[in-house]
Amino acid sequence: MADVTIADDKSAWEARVERLWATRPSRWRDAWWELSRNKLALGGAVIVAFFTLVAIFGPMLAPYDYANQVLSDVLLPPFTGGHVFGTDELGRDVLSRLLLGIRISMAVGLGTTAIALVIGTVAGMLAGYYRGWVDRVLNGFVELVWGFPLILIAVLLIGAIGPGLTGVIIAVGFVNWAGFARIVRGEVFALREKEFVAAARALGKGDLEIMVRHLLPNVVGSALVMGSYYIAIAIIAEAGLSFIGMGAQPPLPSLGQMINEGSGYMLLNHWLSTIPGVVIVLLVLGLNVLGDGLRDVLDPRLKGQG
Amino acid sequence: MASYLARRTGYMVLILAISSVVIFYALRSAPGGPSGGGVLSPLSSQEVRQAYEKRLGLDQPVYTQYFIYLSHLAKGDLGTSLVNGTPITELLATHARNSLVLGLTALAISYLIAIPLGVLAAVKRNTWVDQLAMGGAILGMGIPNFWLALILVYFFSLRLGLLPSAGCCDPPQLLMPALVLAAEGTAVTMRMTRSSMLEHLRDDFVRALRAKGLPEWRVILQHVLRNALIPVISLTGLRLGWLVGYALIVETIFRWPGVGYLLVDSVLRRDYPVAQFFSLLLIFFVLMANWFADIGYGLANPRIRVA
Repeated sequence: MADVTIADDKSAWEARVERLWATRPSRWRDAWWELSRNKLALGGAVIVAFFTLVAIFGPMLAPYDYANQVLSDVLLPPFTGGHVFGTDELGRDVLSRLLLGIRISMAVGLGTTAIALVIGTVAGMLAGYYRGWVDRVLNGFVELVWGFPLILIAVLLIGAIGPGLTGVIIAVGFVNWAGFARIVRGEVFALREKEFVAAARALGKGDLEIMVRHLLPNVVGSALVMGSYYIAIAIIAEAGLSFIGMGAQPPLPSLGQMINEGSGYMLLNHWLSTIPGVVIVLLVLGLNVLGDGLRDVLDPRLKGQG
Repeated sequence: MASYLARRTGYMVLILAISSVVIFYALRSAPGGPSGGGVLSPLSSQEVRQAYEKRLGLDQPVYTQYFIYLSHLAKGDLGTSLVNGTPITELLATHARNSLVLGLTALAISYLIAIPLGVLAAVKRNTWVDQLAMGGAILGMGIPNFWLALILVYFFSLRLGLLPSAGCCDPPQLLMPALVLAAEGTAVTMRMTRSSMLEHLRDDFVRALRAKGLPEWRVILQHVLRNALIPVISLTGLRLGWLVGYALIVETIFRWPGVGYLLVDSVLRRDYPVAQFFSLLLIFFVLMANWFADIGYGLANPRIRVA
């Protein structure tokens, strides 16, 4: 009889473990819960979500055409003549231009970072996993690009292909993939010595499966944290280059270019550059704070640092 | 260490050589060119353009131009600006000096503000001092430097009339560009000093020193800070490289006649000799800075010294 009880207990216990395992909070739900308790990070997430929505839907809701010039209505202050944020020196509606400018900034930031993240993660993973000559070649490229000022490369590249957003996007992607590759390579270097990788290999899993199913989930957190900082870096770089005339070309409104156009009217019509300036600062602050929060949540070892 | 230095130096020379070819081709592949609106008037006739290109040797294949350029360089002839005929040696003397003055001032400002505040924030952790300093740092990292420049110009030049909005090279004209150039670095350095201090404040030797009865300020300044500054100092090289990038924008905004302003201007105007020389100069500077960063890192932390 005693045996039966033990067997019952055992199966009951196993069932319980099974149930707990089945209902465990997923890694991401866990992370989300942590994130929702971190007020600063939540604030950042709200700001970023807001601007993402604005970037997607904003231009559709714009009250005027962004390039439409009404020369009888130039330099209207905010809240006059049906223009919430006023008009610029050519009588174009600032709000409509701002909405499109946010879309351009977000698209450049997200687009370049997504490309850099994918290329950097793949390169870092291969270098860290295979080591040897693969690592030497890939890391050679990383070292080449890393430490080069983004703006300098962008200026040279734009010198070659002419001013415009294409040059900005290529330059930012070209520099930033190295950052992802460095981080991922370092982590994979350490991870591939861990027991779970040895176990997977002992079970006869191939390199690709080990990299994708076992290593990738362990490095994606750090890559995402880097990602949110890099989106901010890309947005600032685009704005800076547009500001000195090397990025978005008129009449396309980029936030940096709007600040530049407004800079000639600082004394009497400062809102022309103040409004896009505040938007950039909010956007970048939101991304940086979100990055700090994600780092605390996804990489608790670094909590409280930096 | 010696072989590492040699390899590193060889690598640097290789990158410089590759960069020089890439830059040479890149500039010439750009639409326009000096005869197409960059230097000559866009309205000038076809004959004038051809004569102009012939005189400068721009009608020859790019690789021939490259070797001619190299042979001139070897003889110490850096060429002259296509825009105003100024010899590049002359431009180098004035603009490099201006950039160095601006960059070093910015670096000094950034360390003088960031290190004391970082230490204070770490010592007074989680108090209002800490929160204020870190809030300032987050803001400093979030404000694009060109907008900060506009705000400073708005208040100090347009409203208060205290500082000139652009120009060179008196201390009042230096102040705003240097502050703007220092802003981001200050924020990053402050955060780094704080986290490095916090890390070392937990070390055992700190407890031992306190138990020994050493005054707290000596524990902090003589012992903890000395250890905490290692990563901060060793990042100076990397910092210099970043400063070069920001200087392109800050010098352009403030019309500060430095290398950055000259480069942006010459790239936009297709002034080939100026653009190619100064872009190579900046790349050389960045490589040197990174080289020092590597060496500095190795010296500061023998455990990670690359063999």
